[in-house]
Amino acid sequence: MRNPLVRPYPKDWFLRTRAYRLFMLRELTSVCIAGYLVYLIWWLYKFNQVGAEGYEELLSFVRHPVSIGMHTIALIAAVWHSITWFNLTPSVMPMRIGEDKVPDVVISIATGFGPWLVLTGFILWATLG
Amino acid sequence: MPQETITLEVFRYRPEEDKQSTFQNYDVPYHEHWVVLDAINWIKDNVDGTLSYRWSCRMGVCGSCGMMINGEPKLTCAVFLKDYFPKVIRVEPLVNFPVERDLVIDMDGFMEKLKSVKPWIIRDDTDQMDQEYLQTPSQLAAYKDFSMCINCMLCYSACPVLDGDPEFIGPAALALAHRYNLDSRDKGNEQRQDIMGAEEGVWGCAFVGECTEVCPKNVNPAGAIQQAKIASTKAWYRSVLLPWGKR
Amino acid sequence: MSHLTKSNEAFWWSLFSAGGVMAALFVPVIIFVTGFVLPFMMGDDLESQYDRMQGLITMWPTRVALFGVIFLSFFHCAHRIRHILMDFGVRWAGVALLILCYGGAVAGTVVAGVVLARF
Repeated sequence: MRNPLVRPYPKDWFLRTRAYRLFMLRELTSVCIAGYLVYLIWWLYKFNQVGAEGYEELLSFVRHPVSIGMHTIALIAAVWHSITWFNLTPSVMPMRIGEDKVPDVVISIATGFGPWLVLTGFILWATLG
Repeated sequence: MPQETITLEVFRYRPEEDKQSTFQNYDVPYHEHWVVLDAINWIKDNVDGTLSYRWSCRMGVCGSCGMMINGEPKLTCAVFLKDYFPKVIRVEPLVNFPVERDLVIDMDGFMEKLKSVKPWIIRDDTDQMDQEYLQTPSQLAAYKDFSMCINCMLCYSACPVLDGDPEFIGPAALALAHRYNLDSRDKGNEQRQDIMGAEEGVWGCAFVGECTEVCPKNVNPAGAIQQAKIASTKAWYRSVLLPWGKR
Repeated sequence: MSHLTKSNEAFWWSLFSAGGVMAALFVPVIIFVTGFVLPFMMGDDLESQYDRMQGLITMWPTRVALFGVIFLSFFHCAHRIRHILMDFGVRWAGVALLILCYGGAVAGTVVAGVVLARF
């Protein structure tokens, strides 16, 4: 007699193993990034509006400990997103030369970490002058 | 010195009388060179002949002895008692499948999913079936990793998507579909696109990546599915932008 | 299989992927600039600082780049947030969830476009 037993799957599966928790952490970076983007739009609006006279006030807002804390969290989340994204790239876009696989680390650096470093350096250089 | 033992906490379910599953403990002689499957075989031979489970080759080739070992999907012929000793080892049937009896799962759904992606070489020149279809080594290399699957279904137990969405075709079947799509001899991409590009196909995948981690044959189903997402995306844009043309 | 549901996920996924790349490449340094470089590393001459930054942002390549980063990153985030909510069990919300998440991304993009256009 067949009478298959269907087991309930835990609703909190994403907390149950280290790998699932790391997955959820990776996905949750999007919440921090989205939050920061909203802030960035507000900042751009304010920056344009206040002019040179009001810039000091805007800066003092940004220097507030709460702002520093929020920026720190957003930065950690964004960096974590970058690292996980570039690490997964070789799986999504494998490359081969003839029969040989291009090593994952080469793909990660060439398509991710390398350009990331160059762009970050360039933007900091442009900002600091 | 008396024989050391290790305890196996084994999932039991008898479909004739049980409404729910139970756990039964067995003390098994501990040998350093024994794998979990050896211990289960010892129970079956010496203590409890009613225990049901699947196994065959004992060497990681047949893919029939997959079970949850302390919550992780494993081939029981490939996990040693010594990696757990002296702790208790909990043995359960693979999750995300209905349980037929004890450690035996119902794989009908999996077999149906596997068939649905047409995992065979599709040609339009069937009148020439007597000829060989040549393939260069690099054409073989393009899909070879994805062809190593032994259908052990560990990836289905590692995949959390299958819980919320049991219709999801799942890692092994999608990876196999991708394997045939990559095969230079195959002409079946279009026939597989309807299923690959469906909600139940590649789009069910959230890229948790655990299927790849648990795969005993290094197939990387997660990678296969992401690559198939790119292919499906191209097909989708073609069908929207060039609806009058061939997909 | 018994039934198949035709999917337009490919469209959202392509925006998600492009946004993932943009966010990975640009967002960390932008956060660093607005949160740490400007308030703490630029010295005391606020007026010339302001004029320099104003000039930098006003340049059309900067504005186009910022718009691209914000637009695509929003869609990246919207897609992930939608899937997180589905993982948390709100699959039943279906189309409403779709409208909420991607609608939010559209709204954010429009506002960003207006703000950047006014520079």
